[in-house]
Amino acid sequence: MNELAMAVNKQDHYLGDGVADGAYQYLTFSVLGKLMAIGILDVKEIIEVSSMTRVPMTQNSIRGVINLRGNVVPVVDLGARLGSHIIKLTKKSCIVLVSLAFHDETQTMGILVEQVNEILTIPEQNRQKPPDFGTDIDSKFISQIGRYEEDFVILLNKEKVLCVEELSEQIVAAQSSFCV
Amino acid sequence: MLDDTKKIFIQESEELLEQMENALLEMEQVPNDAEHLNSVFRAIHTIKGAAGIFGFDAIVAFTHPVESVMDNVRNGLRSVDPDLIALLLKCKDHTANLVEFISGEQEDISETLQEAGKKLLNELTPEQPSELTVTNTNEKIEVSDKRSPSEDHWVISLDFKPDALRNGLDPLSFINYLKRMGEIIEIITFTHDFPCWEDMDPESCYLSFRIALSSSANKEEIKSVFEFALDDCELRIVPPHSELEKYLALLEELTGEELNKLGELLIQVGALTEQELNSALQLQNGVLNDGTTKEIKPLGEILVEQHVVSKDVVEKAVAKQEIIREKIAQETQYIRVDANRLGQLINLVGELVISNAAVKLLVEKHDLADVQEVVSGVEGLVENIRDHALQLRMVQIGETFSRFRRVVRDVSKDLNKDVELVITGGEAELDKTVVEKINDPLTHLVRNSLDHGFETPDERVAQGKPRKGVLRLNALHDSGHIVIQIADDGAGLDTDKIRKKAEEKGLINVGQELSQREILRLIFEPGLTTKDTASNISGRGVGMDVVKRNIDALRGTIEVDSERGKGTLVTIHLPLTLAIIEGFMVGVEQERFVIPLSMVEECVEMNTDEWHLDKNSHYVNLRGQVMPYIKLSEFFGVNYQQSHRGRESLVIVKAGRAKAGIVVDRLFGELQTVIKPLGKVFQGLKGVSGATVLGSGEIALILDVQGLIGLASAKTTDVKTLESV
Amino acid sequence: MSIEAKEHNGAHFLEINDELTIYTAAMMKQELQDVLSKQDELEISLECVSDIDSAGIQILILLHQQAKKKGKTLRFIKHNRQVIDVLETLNLEALFGDPIVLPAKEF
Repeated sequence: MNELAMAVNKQDHYLGDGVADGAYQYLTFSVLGKLMAIGILDVKEIIEVSSMTRVPMTQNSIRGVINLRGNVVPVVDLGARLGSHIIKLTKKSCIVLVSLAFHDETQTMGILVEQVNEILTIPEQNRQKPPDFGTDIDSKFISQIGRYEEDFVILLNKEKVLCVEELSEQIVAAQSSFCV
Repeated sequence: MLDDTKKIFIQESEELLEQMENALLEMEQVPNDAEHLNSVFRAIHTIKGAAGIFGFDAIVAFTHPVESVMDNVRNGLRSVDPDLIALLLKCKDHTANLVEFISGEQEDISETLQEAGKKLLNELTPEQPSELTVTNTNEKIEVSDKRSPSEDHWVISLDFKPDALRNGLDPLSFINYLKRMGEIIEIITFTHDFPCWEDMDPESCYLSFRIALSSSANKEEIKSVFEFALDDCELRIVPPHSELEKYLALLEELTGEELNKLGELLIQVGALTEQELNSALQLQNGVLNDGTTKEIKPLGEILVEQHVVSKDVVEKAVAKQEIIREKIAQETQYIRVDANRLGQLINLVGELVISNAAVKLLVEKHDLADVQEVVSGVEGLVENIRDHALQLRMVQIGETFSRFRRVVRDVSKDLNKDVELVITGGEAELDKTVVEKINDPLTHLVRNSLDHGFETPDERVAQGKPRKGVLRLNALHDSGHIVIQIADDGAGLDTDKIRKKAEEKGLINVGQELSQREILRLIFEPGLTTKDTASNISGRGVGMDVVKRNIDALRGTIEVDSERGKGTLVTIHLPLTLAIIEGFMVGVEQERFVIPLSMVEECVEMNTDEWHLDKNSHYVNLRGQVMPYIKLSEFFGVNYQQSHRGRESLVIVKAGRAKAGIVVDRLFGELQTVIKPLGKVFQGLKGVSGATVLGSGEIALILDVQGLIGLASAKTTDVKTLESV
Repeated sequence: MSIEAKEHNGAHFLEINDELTIYTAAMMKQELQDVLSKQDELEISLECVSDIDSAGIQILILLHQQAKKKGKTLRFIKHNRQVIDVLETLNLEALFGDPIVLPAKEF
């Protein structure tokens, strides 16, 4: 875990030399038994799951909120978000913190994953459009499929996965169904 | 580029223009109130001056004629009528446009703006026919003729001391010299104080004079006539009536950058000479040195007693002194602070509160008795700092309220309605960030009321109501909340119409049983408007739902009451601050929740035996009162192990009119709660209004009591509906 | 002697033929007191008052008051220009109540 965090930090260091390098690099993690990844430049931080507070009356994909240096950050359960599998918390579970722009503000969100693996360099020729069907994950969440050695890596579309509007609407819907 | 001076100018001008508008609106009620006239004059005068300093020539060019008009009004040369006030309001708007313009990038004023300015100025100072001017001057002469001549003279009293003659003075020569200063209208030589012939010392002086002088000279100049006699006579110079007015006017106009002593103030306007001041001060000190008199007389009193200065002038000067003192006090009291910096401070104080809680936790954990005392001392300080920091952002709501005067005036005029705005409770304070956010919802409610609420004057009279409608804005504090009320005595809401509309829109089922309150609540649903035709004021069917959403976002509530033909009352409850509150922490299983302490009425032990709780009914008998309750563990229902069941507690909470009990497992007690927003993702979530970070670093959610009660009652209603099906 | 007894067209009067100022005040007081104590009715001509100042005026005022007090008749007559000016300046003409006859040559 620490090594990895360091790796991410190192990444930051030589980002200054050439952004192009970073653009090809992905942080991979496992969810639903699959290898997934997001661009290393999108990752702010990786933290262990220490204490997470459940928010009642919300859907499963909202795992809860955590305290990130005094700020409250929502955590999305990637298993529940992409499928219907709630991630079981283990020693290996991690929260990948991602920041995204939302109405001129920067919103930090956490993604709960089963395990963080490694940083891979996947050059453009090794990436391709997602198939129109055939994946068990809604294709809107996939930006590209990457190939690394013999494995496929699902490169996630963070804007869709962490879409604030959609999650918010789901919360309202969940709550009204909860009231019935 | 907007440099700092420009920013200051813009900000100050905006404030002044607001003052001007308020004063003008007051003038509509009391046209000739000197204070308001002056206020308008000062505002425009100051803006003109500042604009001149900063070189905003367009503003100077426009404000100068406006200032002249105001000056004439002030001097009674032009009368105030509603047209003039309306025109001046337009001038205020135009000035605001000009000020706004200079904040922009462009160098030259657009032609349309220039034209608008010219047009206003033409209206303001129409070419007066020469005839009119003549009449005016005639009037002026008449005015001055009316004044009785005796009023307008200096009155000099001159009492020579016995040694005057021996010291080589000849009183007569002074009087002859005085003739050069003006015309001696009257002179009285006092003879009744003369000694009898036998006792008379022919070389002593017994002469006293009272002289009425008509002169354009000022007091100091007149005094200079007697310069060489000052040691040998008592001289008092009483200014003429016009001079008194001049003193009063001068006193009024003193800008008073620094706090002057009363005497200095009087000398400044010429009502007092330095010599007079000195002798009065000597008198004052004499009394002091004497030791016999216990009280030192105020200088003003001495001056009046000695007939040096008239009572009016002294009173005015004292009042002025007070104003200057206040102004200086205010100036030193207020510092402009960047709102962001204040926000940062409050955030830091929030962190401090949390850190302090963490320290407290550690001290308890390690059982450090000697540290405990220090920590609790620090805790007290932190609490103080928190309160003060929050207080910094508190502003009175009055300013927000008074902005609506213009809205009410303009809108009711447009609609041909006659509505008076009555503002009360303007001194109630709340967080600036909250104030900023309620402006829009309030504007909407006020406009709504003017448009839909009030009838036309004729309709009102036909219904036996006063012709003039009354719109009330009121604010008050209630258990840690601010309550804002918007009340009108208009037509009230038509519940049948609302019901019909709601049925049409499919918001409710046809024939669905609803209480009056529930029907009224429907107006906050999207897409519902009762006005048949949309107007440009309101009534496009967007609005009330937006208002409600805005209020919800502030963790507030909005309720509406209405009686047909009597009027409508909208009540808004808002939290005083969005930053830090006193909370009450409760625990359900392993989870912790914070209830705003202001909403907690009491805590009672759940008496299961006595209350015969069952699964279906959710209410208890609390001292004869039916108290519905929400069992948090069930309500937030996750698979709680039923094993842990100590004594449960019932926390009685109050939100607006509703009261309810919340059943929890544990009570942790009061807690300073730094409110952290949950983030945009949770913006639609009801029942939870925010989060706070505990000393342990964990997050506890803050319960939105009103929302919870709403959810619970929605749930029961649905259950009922299901049952009835 | 600054005060001389005169006779004109059969009328007897006193004439002050000195200045009436602070310099002569003490002496004037004395002389006038003597005159007043001797007669019950007297006229004083101010025609030849060469100078008059406040001290002189005081004396005239006091003498007038004293005469009244003692029930005597005192009239100032033949005011010269200078005296008239002073009386006018101090608005004392009325106080003495004497008819002020301006010498013909003044016109």
